[in-house]
Amino acid sequence: MHRLKGHPEERRFLEEVIEKSGQNLLECLQCGKCTGSCPISSQTVGGPRQLIARILHNMQDAALEDPTWWYCVSCGTCANRCPVEINMYQVATALCEMAEEAAVAPCEPAIHRFEELFLKSVRKYGRVQELKTVMQFNMRSFQPFKDAKKGLQLMLKGAISPVHFIKGGAKDPRVADIFTRVEQLKQGEKAHES
Amino acid sequence: MKVSYYPGCSLEVTAKPYDTSAQQVCRSLGVELEEVPQWCCCGSSPALKMDGLLSTALSAQNLVHIEGQSVDKVVIPCPFCFRRLLSAQEEIQADQDLKTTVQNVIQAEIAGQLDIQNLLGFLRYDIGLESIREKVVQPLSGLRLLTYYGCYLVKPSGVTHYDDGEYPVSMDEVLQALGAEVLDWDFKTECCGAGLSLSKTDTVVELTRRIMREAKFKEADALVVACQLCQANLDMRQEEIGKAEDTDMAIPIIYFTQLMGLAFGLPAKQLGLNHHLIDPISLLKSKGLA
Ligand code: SF4
Ligand code: SF4
Repeated sequence: MHRLKGHPEERRFLEEVIEKSGQNLLECLQCGKCTGSCPISSQTVGGPRQLIARILHNMQDAALEDPTWWYCVSCGTCANRCPVEINMYQVATALCEMAEEAAVAPCEPAIHRFEELFLKSVRKYGRVQELKTVMQFNMRSFQPFKDAKKGLQLMLKGAISPVHFIKGGAKDPRVADIFTRVEQLKQGEKAHES
Repeated sequence: MKVSYYPGCSLEVTAKPYDTSAQQVCRSLGVELEEVPQWCCCGSSPALKMDGLLSTALSAQNLVHIEGQSVDKVVIPCPFCFRRLLSAQEEIQADQDLKTTVQNVIQAEIAGQLDIQNLLGFLRYDIGLESIREKVVQPLSGLRLLTYYGCYLVKPSGVTHYDDGEYPVSMDEVLQALGAEVLDWDFKTECCGAGLSLSKTDTVVELTRRIMREAKFKEADALVVACQLCQANLDMRQEEIGKAEDTDMAIPIIYFTQLMGLAFGLPAKQLGLNHHLIDPISLLKSKGLA
């Protein structure tokens, strides 16, 4: 197991991922059950086994730029089938936070854009304004009429109301406060470290 | 029986039929759903991906609101919200430091002893098949159904503690109690990729295509779901799948609560069955059910 031979400095990244995610990647058998079951693994998205191999080999840049954790839909299939119960969506959260800290540009900008718009809406209104978020995403992705026909059909059926595309709900300052306090906490930690 | 009810964001706007049918079915079964006052979004997958602490704090904020309701059980129709709130409560219970941090962030104390259930599990196990059967006035005989559980309700088993992560049966049992024929298949918990529906539509069309191709092969009348993300995704992508497969693809995607309501004698429109893209009404009419 050459991954364990490394100098402690060479294992820093691995240890940080393990600590942040709470998943003991050192137990990974590299059996590939996770990737074999992962819905988002493809020719271009390497999947969880390869991502773990990168982390175990201290390939920080490759791991933080791996599309797998951006694509991960937290379906939980890998954790369900993994012989040592490694939960990859927890690893995804850890890598996403570490990539942000290290100012690594998101390698999947479309997924990042959607997730940011979603959270912006939650921050503002307390509850996500789904239809408004869809509209904003489509506008910013330069595809304003994506799925527009289906939206129109649903509107005609009375399933959704056109109002929700434009108007947000009532604002909820308590939720905005939660966002602010989480941010402050993180900034405090950063200042403490440096 | 009175329980707390956390609908979640989708059920307010895009998944109204799930909410209204759930409310009506619970009323028929003598369950009073008391909506959580001032609930907020659980952060869904974007918070879970981008910010672990934020995600746990948003769920904790809701747990505190629920704890204020003086009922010990909360019922959650959205599988994602269900899994997130349940897992947040466990994380907080297991880690005193996290609990302290989260309490600071939400500026409230959290007890963390709630009985958190998903709507399907609550109806199947707490209310029970016998009580469900008793309410049936219009058995769903002649309907060939496939159950589709998706991911968040059952996976990973170590987090959801619900049914079986690979081969769940609770929804099958409920539908059988309503008199429907439930077909067997291997796709009960195959992921439909709903979270990427907007940002990676091609991936999602491929995932839904595998599921719907099998559903068609099984000659199912409809697919029954317990998740509004699955419902919207499978309902919406069939047109593209049909084009890619060069075939007609129009299999209705129905909430299990809508079928419960129908079997209990409630009118199809009142259950929002006319609000899906692929309209189940003509199918139900042909079986004498609407
Ligand atoms: S299934 Fe588990 S042990 Fe096997 S490669 Fe994946 S993470 Fe490692
Ligand atoms: S949780 Fe993420 S990594 Fe695991 S199988 Fe699902 S999409 Fe793949």
